[in-house]
Amino acid sequence: MLRLYRSLLALYPPPYRCEYGNEMLAVLAQLELSTCQAKPGARFWMRAREVSGLLAGALTEHTRVIAGFPAASVSLSRRSRMRAEFRFPKATPILMTVILVAVIMAIEKAKSISASLPPSSTPIPPLQPEHFSTVTTFLEILALALSAAVVGWLAVFALRRSGLQRLSDVPSANASRKS
Amino acid sequence: MANFPITEPVLLILLSLAERPRHGYAILQDTREMSDGRVQLSTGTLYGALSRLLENGWIDRHETDDSSRGKQSYRLTAAGRRNLQAEVNRLKKLAHVAGLRVARKET
Repeated sequence: MLRLYRSLLALYPPPYRCEYGNEMLAVLAQLELSTCQAKPGARFWMRAREVSGLLAGALTEHTRVIAGFPAASVSLSRRSRMRAEFRFPKATPILMTVILVAVIMAIEKAKSISASLPPSSTPIPPLQPEHFSTVTTFLEILALALSAAVVGWLAVFALRRSGLQRLSDVPSANASRKS
Repeated sequence: MANFPITEPVLLILLSLAERPRHGYAILQDTREMSDGRVQLSTGTLYGALSRLLENGWIDRHETDDSSRGKQSYRLTAAGRRNLQAEVNRLKKLAHVAGLRVARKET
């Protein structure tokens, strides 16, 4: 039965497993020991509860990882206590605000310049269908979207490598005690 | 105040640790006794709750002789005790109101 529990624990995210895996297995072993004299029905329900609990727990922890929460709270040092905010430093909102203000100021400046210019005597003619083809435009938009996706993915990948990924390599309290 | 949902299992875990530091198996036994066998936490549920409580700083690890044998003990922090006290006060008020409402006869 412990083999089944161990394989279910393998479904948890590695940092979580690293931090709580041994403890959980020790508790499960104690539970098995305490119910070895119990009636078969009670033992069955205990095992059913534990198996479903482990499955639900693994699903919850993976969901938390996907949602951006830390997979486990490694409480070894100050560095280990870094949370998801590490991937998006506190300076980010300030930087975004500065960029937003700069964009608004640029728009206002452009408006004032266009208002100060004399009206053009020759209006710009409207675009004609022969000026562009549908296929070319579609391909251009597709290429642009793909480039944006690649850039975005690279940025996310770089952020993950810089923070969360390294955190998962930090040895847990249990692991460091055992070594 | 609490930024962590205090469900019944979480409340029982906190109450279990309010008395003294306990390790995982002892918490499971204590929560079952406190609820007269009504709440039987699974190991997965217990450690899910413990990891959230650790993240929120409501509990911390307590080093004991058993820690080296895979039996990690946990204890309530000052913040955890404060939040537990607030929750207990809330439940007291709720129980008081509930008692009054139940006792009130329909006119």
